[in-house]
Amino acid sequence: MPQLCRPLVPRNSVPGALKRVCYFNYTSGTEFRGTHYNMKKILFSGLLFSLFTFSGCLEDSAPVNDVTITFKALYDGQPLEKYKLYDYNTYRVQFTRFNAYMANIALMNGNTPLPLSEIGWVDFTPDSAPTDKAVDVSVTFNNVPEGNYTGIRLGYGVPASLNAKQPKDFAPGHPLSRENEYWLGWGSYIFNKIEGQVDLNNNGVFDGGLIYHCGSDAVYREYLFDLPVSVKAGAAEIVVEFDLKKLFVINGAWLDLNNPYNHITSNDVADVVIAKKLMDNFDAATTVKQ
Amino acid sequence: MIFMLALGAAVWHSCKKDDPAPGDTGTDLRSIAYDPKPYTVIKPDHFPQVPIPADNPITVDGVQLGRRLFYDPILSGDSTQSCASCHLPQGSFTDNLAVSVGIDGIAGRRSAMSLLNIAYATNGLFWDGRSPSLEDQALRPVEDPIEMHNTWTNVVAKLKVHPTYPALFRKAFGINNTNEMTKELAAKAMAQFERILISSGTSRFDRYLQGEKDILDDDELDGKLMFFEEGGSVGLPDAQCFHCHGGLTLTGNQYFNNGLTEAATLEDFPDKGRGGFNGKATDNGKFRSPTLRNIALTAPYMHDGRFQTLDEVIEHYSRHGKNSPNKDPLIPQVGYPIPGTSPLQYTGLNASHKKALVKFLHTLTDTTFVNNPDIQNPFF
Repeated sequence: MPQLCRPLVPRNSVPGALKRVCYFNYTSGTEFRGTHYNMKKILFSGLLFSLFTFSGCLEDSAPVNDVTITFKALYDGQPLEKYKLYDYNTYRVQFTRFNAYMANIALMNGNTPLPLSEIGWVDFTPDSAPTDKAVDVSVTFNNVPEGNYTGIRLGYGVPASLNAKQPKDFAPGHPLSRENEYWLGWGSYIFNKIEGQVDLNNNGVFDGGLIYHCGSDAVYREYLFDLPVSVKAGAAEIVVEFDLKKLFVINGAWLDLNNPYNHITSNDVADVVIAKKLMDNFDAATTVKQ
Repeated sequence: MIFMLALGAAVWHSCKKDDPAPGDTGTDLRSIAYDPKPYTVIKPDHFPQVPIPADNPITVDGVQLGRRLFYDPILSGDSTQSCASCHLPQGSFTDNLAVSVGIDGIAGRRSAMSLLNIAYATNGLFWDGRSPSLEDQALRPVEDPIEMHNTWTNVVAKLKVHPTYPALFRKAFGINNTNEMTKELAAKAMAQFERILISSGTSRFDRYLQGEKDILDDDELDGKLMFFEEGGSVGLPDAQCFHCHGGLTLTGNQYFNNGLTEAATLEDFPDKGRGGFNGKATDNGKFRSPTLRNIALTAPYMHDGRFQTLDEVIEHYSRHGKNSPNKDPLIPQVGYPIPGTSPLQYTGLNASHKKALVKFLHTLTDTTFVNNPDIQNPFF
């Protein structure tokens, strides 16, 4: 089902009436993982989480359910694959890395957010993947109160309050403890990394690297996606797709890779022109569906 | 309480293995006190928290045992080599050889990696990442025929009858009998010792980060700016270093093809590196990016020790490396972009830039770490 999307302006997300529910602390800082590789950890975490939430929610009589969000990386509607050649306008491109921080994920009930996760890191191209195909990354939120929600909020990057911190401020395993996702010189996390190469002449020779490392408070974005989400007994699933082809078509025009200055986000934290364009366009590159 | 439970569970789990020979009742160790005390890993305030696995908490006695094992040639087939033979403190836990040489005089194919801040390496160990943890890694050199060329069966048998080790295992892991001494416990102890090999935080770069802004001279500061892609506003080129050597440990512990080998196809790398381990052709020619802390002490450089000096290393990157299908796209982008070129070319670095980068790399030297008495050979 296609979704409507609107920028979240102004950003005044106050946790809603469900703030009392204990799992918010737990879901703060979720290391989103490829579902195929960490089932043991997920099961163990799930057990711990179940015990924790059960003991903490005895006084809450609201029905509880699971919501799973699965993030997928695509190019032109097909699952992304590292090193595969893709048509890009009149050129050809390949991608070698794609990861992203996702923040302030919430189900929306009208204008009221039900926060699910403060921050998580989605790595579609982990070193440990057995093939070059991008992995799907799933995260399950337990104990979500039953209801008919109207949409989902997604934050792209690291909100300023968290971006003011550094990896040393977080326990090992927390998504923000990742040193190689922190830009020491800029004092910012790298909100997302999209790397690859472009063959401008279709002659099989790459003519330049594509290095999009978006970061700094100026490029953090949140978007709302309208989508009926029915949470009731059993599990609800939401699929979030990022299509890199859509990301690079900005207001109907391809980001021109014949202009070499469009191959990188910026060399200057004060002038992150391309990063802003991409982050502004992530809503168009995102499809949310059940 | 949790600590004790975890420690007990770890010991119980490990002791199911290496059953004693029939009739071997071992030696009762219960008269020796078992009083495990958590070891406080000392790290600089500005460093990330140290990852410690729940099934191998660090204890004072565990570190003591691990340190002895690390430096003891008892692990090798002819009792001539220890871990420290290839990982010496004065070389920031390298051997300063292009490739290491085992007990039979056979040269390995890769250089010994520095163990400085190895606790933070949670994305695979060795140059190709084939080992998932320090506990796993510590098991491997003993039985490698071109390294220690021994068997763990032999090693454990010698440790069990050693005058010192049974008591140390008892103190470290609470075992009741020498028959409970295993290679897994030995590896856990060595992993505990390796996890305390943390920077002191007193390098000149660290002192700069902690507020001594005048401690770097102009060249060193320029080098820092180029290293961390901060120099654009003051007219300096980008050296692209930090993308692979990022964070305070100056390594992302990820795998890159940094342009060392000219290769027409992905099958043309003489050492396939990461791809040789995981079987992915697109990972051929990729190696784990090492920490650059103490890099001035760890020559020669690269997985095969091909570069003798840091000047040669910087020259390699300034020339954008050699071409291959999966060379990292950042390698050709060292220097200033050359206007009007399409595709965009980069200048590389000039002599003063290269000098500044090398000088900056020298600010990462941490002699307090390499001279730390707590990590030296206990047998001297």
